[in-house]
Amino acid sequence: MGLEQLLPAIAGMTWQHLVMIGVGVLLIYLAIARKYEPTLLLPMGFGAILVNIPLSSALTQIDPATGEAVEGVLNIFFQAGIATEIFPLLIFIAIGAMIDFSPLFRNPSLLLFGAAAQFGIFLTMLFASLLGYDLREAASIGIIGAADGPTSIVVASRFAPNLLGPISVAAYSYMALVPIIQPPVIRLLTSRRERLIRMSNPSNKKISKKALIVFPIAVTIVAGIIAPSSLSLIGFLMFGNLVRECGVLNKLSLSAQNELASLVTLLLGITIASTMTAERFIRVDTLIIITLGLFAFVFDTFGGVIFAKFMNLFRREGNKLNPMIGACGISAFPMSARVIHQMGQKEDPFNYLLMPAISANVGGQIGSVVAGGIILTLVPFFA
Amino acid sequence: MTPNFETALLIAAIGMTGIFLFMAIFYLLILLLDRLMPFREERTEEEIVEETGTEEEDL
Repeated sequence: MGLEQLLPAIAGMTWQHLVMIGVGVLLIYLAIARKYEPTLLLPMGFGAILVNIPLSSALTQIDPATGEAVEGVLNIFFQAGIATEIFPLLIFIAIGAMIDFSPLFRNPSLLLFGAAAQFGIFLTMLFASLLGYDLREAASIGIIGAADGPTSIVVASRFAPNLLGPISVAAYSYMALVPIIQPPVIRLLTSRRERLIRMSNPSNKKISKKALIVFPIAVTIVAGIIAPSSLSLIGFLMFGNLVRECGVLNKLSLSAQNELASLVTLLLGITIASTMTAERFIRVDTLIIITLGLFAFVFDTFGGVIFAKFMNLFRREGNKLNPMIGACGISAFPMSARVIHQMGQKEDPFNYLLMPAISANVGGQIGSVVAGGIILTLVPFFA
Repeated sequence: MTPNFETALLIAAIGMTGIFLFMAIFYLLILLLDRLMPFREERTEEEIVEETGTEEEDL
């Protein structure tokens, strides 16, 4: 009996498998040593190892004796959780339960940055279509710029399931790299004088509980009337938020924020890894998608900052916005707000930008989901 | 320019306008809710009873 029969996995191993196992180890390293989105990157990294060992029973295999397909657990998870969109939508309930909309009520005009900072999504979609991707694929690549993992997964699983692996890896990796990506772009677009602008801080304004309860219901109804296809995204987010704010489901709210978020994230990460097989992942496409993802994040930041500068044209001296706030219109919460606050403090230790930055960042959380919903509504009309 | 790019351009234009429209509506919604439901200090039952008692005494 030869080695091939004794250890068929070794016989089936190719350099592509080894590279993918290396990618898995790298993701695990980034999660543990660098703490880059560990809740997602660690299961994805481990999953990448799991699915790249030839004949892995974690994936569906053909039994050579009977010729029948033996279902792998990760394929079952994928069909049940990702193809049906159940996992990302459950994550939305958890995220909704984590979001506090009161900073938006204190600074409602900053909600608009949640729109401006989605610019990178559409610019990247244009660029991807120029590179030859069809509309559905281009939209799925562009949505990396939502800086929102579950939204990227929902859009990609519906429009381009073949690209789900690299899109998810790019989305979560760049979310973790916001402190590295945003500052140089912001410095390039703003003068020191602009970065020193102080903003009034209405952080003491109290918000009515009733308003916070009515808000998620009203948003769901408005979004549903305008774009029904967006309801699965926005509706689940707002449902989670209603559970948080209603005041009578505190136990459920805490469960959604902790146990539900943890369990589904764990399953989501390892299930996405089932698409990270060597045959699907080691392609020029993957490199292009990862590059385009970076492009999307850079132009999100660009869109937010430039929009803040545009708004300043119409504001009185003394009431100007610090244009760095615009960069917080992305969904990476609270990382982006923290980055901007720290940048402000670096320029002037007495400049406290945290509250307006958080307001814009909460706007970004709504904006990214709205962007996902709009893409889900628009693309099928044209593609 | 390929037809694919032209369609993507159209989607991008409608998409960005749509997001701003949505956010503008949510902005107005927040202003409306803030006006219709301003924050009021919640009073405890004891305070309410005390106040009612004082009113009765006044009568």
